[in-house]
Amino acid sequence: MDWHLLGLSFITVFLAELGDKSQLAAIALSGANAKFPRAVFLGTIAALILASFLGVIVGEGTAQILPAQYAKAIAAAGFAIMAVRLLWFSAEESESIE
Amino acid sequence: MPLPELSVSGLPDSSLIESDFSDQSMVLEIETPLSAAQAPTWDFWKVFGSTFVTIFLAELGDKTQVATLLMSAQSQNPWVVFAGAASALVATSLVGVLVGRWLSTRLSLKTLERATGMLLLVISALLVWDVARM
Repeated sequence: MDWHLLGLSFITVFLAELGDKSQLAAIALSGANAKFPRAVFLGTIAALILASFLGVIVGEGTAQILPAQYAKAIAAAGFAIMAVRLLWFSAEESESIE
Repeated sequence: MPLPELSVSGLPDSSLIESDFSDQSMVLEIETPLSAAQAPTWDFWKVFGSTFVTIFLAELGDKTQVATLLMSAQSQNPWVVFAGAASALVATSLVGVLVGRWLSTRLSLKTLERATGMLLLVISALLVWDVARM
């Protein structure tokens, strides 16, 4: 086991991801789905591990299956839909309760 | 002083063992009942699924993947690089979820929904910015 390489890759990725989109998304999604923090955590790590697994296995091959541009555009739409649902629909419901 | 009594009652009855084989078809007919507790499980998987899909698509071809790719190409041990990267991602996600959970206990529901909604819009804008730069 190459502990030096393991530590190096851990620190590199940890610092790169700290305060990045995916961590912000983990904060936002666990706030939005406060009842299921475990579902958000498991969903996040499964997605991130699969994405880096594909990075190791196929490398640039993922771009041929699904171009990163389209993938990111779909994700942007997904986040926007969740945001709109939270900002409009839930706000009305909680106002009527109060 | 009484002597310990030796008995043969502990030995299995050979007729009972043999009868087990003839009853196997009966076992297959038992169905698992649908429980009323499936509604919360469904919500759990809905949250899991939406989180998984959005984050996976957002991170496909992102800088972590590029860094992982570069390191695994340079080194002889791509699986060690993968192990390091995966554990780092688990760590940052755990920090993120814990921060989110802490915030959800601190803020009122209305403030929390407004703040998370704005944050999701910011993430969406960052992704649109990424697409525009490609």
